[in-house]
Amino acid sequence: MKILVCISQVPDTSTKVVLKDNNTVVESAGVTYIINPYDEWYGLIRAIELKETGVASEIDLVTVGKANTEPVIRKALALGGDKAIRIDADSNDPYLTAAYIADYAKNEHYDLILCGKESIDYNNGTVGSMIAELLDMDYIGFATEIKTEGNTAIVKREIEGGEETDSCNFPLVISCQKGVAEARIPNMRGIMAARTRPLNVVTPAALEPVTAILSYEMPPAKAGVKLVDPADMDQLVELLHSEAKVI
Amino acid sequence: MSVIVFVEHDGGIIKKKNFEAVQYASGIAQKTGATVTAVILGTIADAEIEKLGEYGAQKVLHIEDNRLNELHPRAYTTALLTAIEKEGAKIIIALNDINGRAVAPRVAAKLKAGLVAGALTYPDLDKGFVIKKAVYSGKAFAYVNVTSDTKVIMLMPNTFPLAKTEGKATIEKLAVNFGDKDFGIKIKEVSKATGEISLSDAALVVSGGRGMKGPENWYLIENLAKELGAATACSRPVSDSDWRPHHEHVGQTGGTIRPDLYIAVGISGAIQHLAGVNGSKTIVVINYDPEAPFFKAANYGVIGDAMEVLPRLTEAVKKFKLHK
Amino acid sequence: MNDVENVKAIKGGEFLIRETAAESIFIPEEWNEEQLMIAETCSNFLAQHVTPNLNRIDAQEEGLMSHLMDEAGALGLLGISVPEEYGGFGKDFKTSMLVTEKLGAGHSFSVAFSAHSGIGTLPILYYGNDAQKQKYIPKLASGEWKGAYCLTEPSSGSDANSGKARAKLTEDGKHYLITGQKMWITNAGFADVFTVFAKIDNDENLSAFIVEKDFEGISLNTEEHKMGIKGSSTRQVFFNDCKVPVENLLSERQNGFKIAVNILNIGRMKLGGGTVGASKDVITLAVKYANEREQFGRAISKYGAIRHKLAQQAMLTYAAESAVYRASQNMEEATELLVESGLDEIKAKLKGTEQFAIEAAIIKVHSSEVLDYVVDEGVQIYGGMGYSAEAPMERAYRDSRINRIFEGTNEINRMLTVDMMLKRAMKGELDLMGPAQKVAGELMSIPDFSAGGEEDLFTKEKKHIANFKKAVLMVAGAAVQKLMTQLAKEQEVLMNLADMLIELYVSESLQLRVEKLVGLRGEESCKEQLDMMRVYINDAAEKIARSGKEALNSFAEGDEKRMMIMGLKRYTKTDDINTTQARRNIAAKLIAENKYCF
Repeated sequence: MKILVCISQVPDTSTKVVLKDNNTVVESAGVTYIINPYDEWYGLIRAIELKETGVASEIDLVTVGKANTEPVIRKALALGGDKAIRIDADSNDPYLTAAYIADYAKNEHYDLILCGKESIDYNNGTVGSMIAELLDMDYIGFATEIKTEGNTAIVKREIEGGEETDSCNFPLVISCQKGVAEARIPNMRGIMAARTRPLNVVTPAALEPVTAILSYEMPPAKAGVKLVDPADMDQLVELLHSEAKVI
Repeated sequence: MSVIVFVEHDGGIIKKKNFEAVQYASGIAQKTGATVTAVILGTIADAEIEKLGEYGAQKVLHIEDNRLNELHPRAYTTALLTAIEKEGAKIIIALNDINGRAVAPRVAAKLKAGLVAGALTYPDLDKGFVIKKAVYSGKAFAYVNVTSDTKVIMLMPNTFPLAKTEGKATIEKLAVNFGDKDFGIKIKEVSKATGEISLSDAALVVSGGRGMKGPENWYLIENLAKELGAATACSRPVSDSDWRPHHEHVGQTGGTIRPDLYIAVGISGAIQHLAGVNGSKTIVVINYDPEAPFFKAANYGVIGDAMEVLPRLTEAVKKFKLHK
Repeated sequence: MNDVENVKAIKGGEFLIRETAAESIFIPEEWNEEQLMIAETCSNFLAQHVTPNLNRIDAQEEGLMSHLMDEAGALGLLGISVPEEYGGFGKDFKTSMLVTEKLGAGHSFSVAFSAHSGIGTLPILYYGNDAQKQKYIPKLASGEWKGAYCLTEPSSGSDANSGKARAKLTEDGKHYLITGQKMWITNAGFADVFTVFAKIDNDENLSAFIVEKDFEGISLNTEEHKMGIKGSSTRQVFFNDCKVPVENLLSERQNGFKIAVNILNIGRMKLGGGTVGASKDVITLAVKYANEREQFGRAISKYGAIRHKLAQQAMLTYAAESAVYRASQNMEEATELLVESGLDEIKAKLKGTEQFAIEAAIIKVHSSEVLDYVVDEGVQIYGGMGYSAEAPMERAYRDSRINRIFEGTNEINRMLTVDMMLKRAMKGELDLMGPAQKVAGELMSIPDFSAGGEEDLFTKEKKHIANFKKAVLMVAGAAVQKLMTQLAKEQEVLMNLADMLIELYVSESLQLRVEKLVGLRGEESCKEQLDMMRVYINDAAEKIARSGKEALNSFAEGDEKRMMIMGLKRYTKTDDINTTQARRNIAAKLIAENKYCF
């Protein structure tokens, strides 16, 4: 089975967002970049597990990004993966990102395409299902467990108020969240292999974005917390009712 | 011209957030001089469907096929695309929830339409078609302009308060031709926690962290939640230590929720946790440590021992409900 | 700058008499991508496996430390520098130093790791024959077998060669029977392989043996109750006619002491790296606490008294780190040159290490004392919580203390520093006489008050450091002349000289690092580093002055003394800079970043 894992580069979870250029750009200087955790801990590791158990024969990683994303791609390769493909473009439009990836993947015959449930920078969570539509494949989102039985995927996914178990034949796109796999620490062998695994740069298809981020805004500063005496919970309830109006 | 809004139901009952979607579509339709056509799938009584009129739908296309009673993303996509073509719609509204994310992006990809996932405002037509959404896990907002002709917007639930109107909707049954591919996903098993309030829908949430000291103390949280009619949630360390089921974990790498009220008990308030809850309207922090960073993000704070405060608060809520 | 002198690699101890070009040293800001990945693996390992379990580790939960070593082994961390042919990754010394540094924040685990991969493995790796290496190294590199090192005895610590353990050949000539008592043996509770030092019959010097835990005649005492690193297994090991096959004699008979000394050199450098890693971790905890703790309505990080401590912690650590990696690189280059000249790789490694034994001793003393300062002020910043076992600083404080004691006490290492310098001078390996005489001559002449040529960002500091060298040469030269062979007995003077050498070496290392960094990133991006450099050198000047003065007052007399005291004043004169503001600047960066960020 041939697996494609979609990886995106995001700022590390503790980054403070700083805006510049009249709020049109997010400052990237001094930011530590990481692999989107959902992509890494769940999508990538599950793919590696499937290769370790002999279910998958090849794992490719794909990223839409400029050359500055290569260190993060190599971090992913240090965990596993046979080769990485970098589609040489910058995109924060989900359709464009999905279209680039689908254009690359259309002749590669992947049986399974994995991505994280969403990226922690744009929080869209839509690229996976778009790729599925563009490649005429099924899509299962918010997966919490992925098993295989021959040519069929058995996937547990989150639904409102519970869990559903689906089965679907390959090829298929799945977006992953907690439960699909456990994060791993890259070992020395992997780190040294990362250098030798191919990282191919690919020209993006001639496409245009259909959305654009015009500007950013910081959330309003929070007014100071109103402390309530722990012995007077009646007061808190009163405040929540009459002031905050939430109960 | 109509604005299409994709509406869902749970076993024949339409949940609140779907009315929000219709109301949102109605707001946009008024701005663009269009009408609102809701699309609803599967088995549901007309009397329930009519409610959509109260929130601004002029017409509802009901695709009755009972195979659609469960989520089949490709079938739903086919159904929606059929409705969109029939109506010549250029603006499509869905919810930014689990089902919305399985269907709306497919529709957008098919139509090469710009998509905004998690809309927090009505589109600003002066600047193009600009919608605000949260980014960087709620640490900032972005103004996104949709430049394509056809536009797909996924509304963030619990953003706009609902206001009923005197409107009425006409209901039309629509037949759709499905292919085999539309039902490629087979549903083998569904397990729902009965009686529990779903975390993603809950307006009120009570959440516990490591400060609760152990799973044996969680009955205090559950009691308060029961009294409030709230869902329960937890922080990552609690989920990692298996004190609580994993779906309760809210935070950067867990779930994101935007309730009206989030009560955080014994949670210090690390950035990663805040990312999951910073969209909450009101945050109450209960913690014995006055230095806990969460207090900086809270509206109300109680510095005290959770073991003592929780029962008191539960009592206070009980009293409040009796006197209402 | 095309200085022909710098084309020839600097020798150990030569820093006293030679200039170094900033471009020629290695600075941590130059780690490559792969090294950074390795560093991240180490940090992730601690965050996931060690830090959440520190209480359980300190309680010596059964099997836990051994299990952690297994996990580290699975990640490949136990075989970083072991040659690939023995199952390791053949990485260079700097990289293994980086691993030691990153794992240095691991408290008891760090000690277990260092003991295993350093003294527990290297004697066999460097001195074993092919059969011994084949048998033991792969399993030590993977962690399948854990290693320990048995040198110290109840009555022989600093005086290692005075050990009473004895080895006797059996009648059939097939085994040695070792009898003796070893003390303070790290990892003893779970080690599979011990390198044991004992004297064969009436030999004067120790021999070394590879002993497996299942050999007949080994028993362990219970765990020592220690002030700190409570999670590290520390036991007495008893050998009672312990039967060791003759094939397990390591290297030649009576070569044991030399093995011990050489391995110690590496251990001392590594201790520098490990304590720097621990310091960075403690500073991050301290600044985070200072940013959260509020008193009188403000975070305590806003108060000058706290800022002073944070700045001081950071500056000392940055300086120590500069010295550690400068010396590591020097050692590596020396080794490479020896390999190029035809020497076998392992012999080259040992010779290269021996070459920089002086720097290793300096680093050991300086870094361990920096860590003790950092944890002490860490407790102070934490206030009452610093004294509480519920907060992390208390453990850091207790765990730090051993670093000034093991791997050779700091007193021994100070004396060795001077001792080795002077021995090399006597052997003609290091020309101290010439430069010392030049300084003496300079004292007689009128000081040069000319403004000198063009000044760049580092002119002043380079001048100070050049003067520090003169100060050391002057005092050392005078001490040798005056005291001659008695100098070895004047330990206080040796300590004074050592302190001067230490401050000189670290000052120079820091200055060169900042110079190279500015060359890479530009002055604007290095403001805090420049502040650290200026303040450190300013403080070092005073320390050198004080030590020098104390020494001179103890052995010099009359006019000669007066002249040298004046010379000392001249050579330790620095500018009056606003060190308070400089420290505030350094602290401000730490506070803004909320972690150690240099």
